[in-house]
Amino acid sequence: MTQTLMNHMKGDESPGGVRDDTWSRLLMQVGQERSQQAFARLFGHFAPLIKGFCLANPSSSLPGEAADELVQEVMFKVWTKAPSYDASKAAASTWIFTVMRNCRIDMIRRNSRHQVNSADVEVDDIWDEELDHQPFVRLQQARNEEMIQRSFATLPIEQKQALTQVYMQGKSHSEIAEETGLPLGTVKSRVRMGLKKIQASLGKR
Amino acid sequence: MIKHHPDHNLLTEYCAGTLDWALCLGITTHLHFCSECRNTVAHLNSIGGSLLAQGPQEQVSQDVFTNLMAQIQARETAAVEFVAQSTEPPLHPSISKDRMLTNLPKVVRKLLPKDKALRWQTVSPNLKMARLTAGQDKYEVAFHRICSGGKVAQHDHGGLEVTVVLKGSFSDGDGIYTPGDFLVRQPGEVHRPTAAQNEDCLCFSICEAPVRLTGLLGRLVNPFLSVKPA
Repeated sequence: MTQTLMNHMKGDESPGGVRDDTWSRLLMQVGQERSQQAFARLFGHFAPLIKGFCLANPSSSLPGEAADELVQEVMFKVWTKAPSYDASKAAASTWIFTVMRNCRIDMIRRNSRHQVNSADVEVDDIWDEELDHQPFVRLQQARNEEMIQRSFATLPIEQKQALTQVYMQGKSHSEIAEETGLPLGTVKSRVRMGLKKIQASLGKR
Repeated sequence: MIKHHPDHNLLTEYCAGTLDWALCLGITTHLHFCSECRNTVAHLNSIGGSLLAQGPQEQVSQDVFTNLMAQIQARETAAVEFVAQSTEPPLHPSISKDRMLTNLPKVVRKLLPKDKALRWQTVSPNLKMARLTAGQDKYEVAFHRICSGGKVAQHDHGGLEVTVVLKGSFSDGDGIYTPGDFLVRQPGEVHRPTAAQNEDCLCFSICEAPVRLTGLLGRLVNPFLSVKPA
């Protein structure tokens, strides 16, 4: 595991809409071959993004100081769960996003008082990967991501903000309404409108 | 055929991880039945993935990586001795023998008590309820069971109520609900569910505040009803 590997952070650019495969391929290598080299490159790319996510929205139950802890926990899960990763179902960034979301919820719950009597249902039971293995219309996930990024960039600022607050700042609709002073219905419709536009752009393809 | 689904706002909050734990239980239960919403969820997750990929980056010190690799090394060593115990513990006979409680979605099965029976309480002549422990304190999570052909007293909702049909079916003024259907009742919505004639109806429900029975029976029973989140 060398510093050079960790610094190698660029993904393949593929303007033609073909899947940007680098990270998904590396993640497959981690899962199938248990390649520590591939893992080091994934770490080099995703660890700063995970930390960036955590620092962008510190909360009382998940303070900024916990950022490194979250990074370590997420990447540990990435290592252990990688054998179940299937590149045909999700791009690496989507899969890692879900791992990060689950770790974040886990940490918040651990830091709260609910842990005691919740031993039976765990985060992985709720956001259950088994559900993804059931048949559903294949979405060409990885290619979608590129389209999503493009159409996200063209959203009106307030829709972009609302979606960012939900996904990246981990705020519920009602928390956003409270903080911004906007009516809950407005927050909801901004999220919905944003999603609609993104979905429409996927449909056009 | 599932006709009633969680809306996109709920699914978005579920995917972003900002939705209350108890409501997430309801969504997961619905997803067990509904491929359409599983599809939407995959889509909403990829929005999260795209945003993460485009998000701000913060430098991570080499120490984190070193610690992580040590942690992984320790796990790989321990894993050799580790025997996976993936089988679920046996359920109480009163639960495993109950036909209504077999083949439940995994997340609901996990909520069943392991070493004791469910405590069914009679809410009204046709309606029984058993509370479940769900590891949170905001909502009451429970099974509701309506006898075949039974009418439930007309009631109102003091807070948000989410119901997912697990077995059988019931109907109210707005429609017929079959397994997998996901219903949200807002405070102030009055309805009177009736189970289908041929079999009992089992529902998984998540209630924010006491359900208020309206009508004469309601006035008699209401003082005894309370929501007990667990």
